[in-house]
Amino acid sequence: MAQTPSPDVSPPVDEKRASFEREALVHLDVLYRVALRLTGNPADADDLVQETMLKAYRAWDQYEKGTNAKAWMLTILRHAFINEYRRRTRHPETVDVDSIEPYAVFPDVQDEDPQGAFFDKIVDDQVLRAIDQLPVAFRETLVLSDVEGMSYQEIAGILGVPVGTVKSRLFRARQLLQGKLYDYAVEMGYIKGSPA
Amino acid sequence: MNCRECVEHLYEFLDREVTPQLEQEIRAHLEDCPPCEEQYDFEELFLKFLRARCKTQGAPTELKKRVLRELFGE
Repeated sequence: MAQTPSPDVSPPVDEKRASFEREALVHLDVLYRVALRLTGNPADADDLVQETMLKAYRAWDQYEKGTNAKAWMLTILRHAFINEYRRRTRHPETVDVDSIEPYAVFPDVQDEDPQGAFFDKIVDDQVLRAIDQLPVAFRETLVLSDVEGMSYQEIAGILGVPVGTVKSRLFRARQLLQGKLYDYAVEMGYIKGSPA
Repeated sequence: MNCRECVEHLYEFLDREVTPQLEQEIRAHLEDCPPCEEQYDFEELFLKFLRARCKTQGAPTELKKRVLRELFGE
């Protein structure tokens, strides 16, 4: 025998690869969309997804098969992002997001456009740009919920915060985003808006 | 339930994250309160709009190839 076998019983490589392809690789699109919103550009998103996949494959034996691979991988992705983000930014969060007061748009449009028809005039790119301007803590919550449709419980697990925090961040993230899109719609003349 | 409480829980209601009892209270309030119902429609439309605008993007083919190459050397 040329080498000492490792004490743990790892599954054969082919089996590991097959289960990784079946359970993990299928979430590549989700990981990419989330990475793109977190990093704000395709090149960094590529690197982040790549790093996540490598880490996930290395740790694949620790993942309990058949549970929630998507949430498990998003947790890895988010950790990798936060580490890199902290390394690059000396003062990561400049605002205390949990003290941002929500602002409701609806009362402003209630008379002129209660159906929210002005939303339809706003193109995809503008929506994505507005999302990218949200504070990171809001952005990650909103993307996991509104883009990927994950439950509060799943999001709380991925972000490592209580469900109540997910709830309140999501509320404020949506209102803040709505406010940005409304301001943009007023600026573009899609809606008259109420005088400030 | 008053209007302020209703609006406060609208998103949770739309996300189907409320308890059955709260759900019932919100439904009852919405039936009786046209302004809140209007806001409910508005917020529902906003969430649908968000989903539709953001869901289109998938990972580029090049990234898929790169990941497979790095993982399995292909």
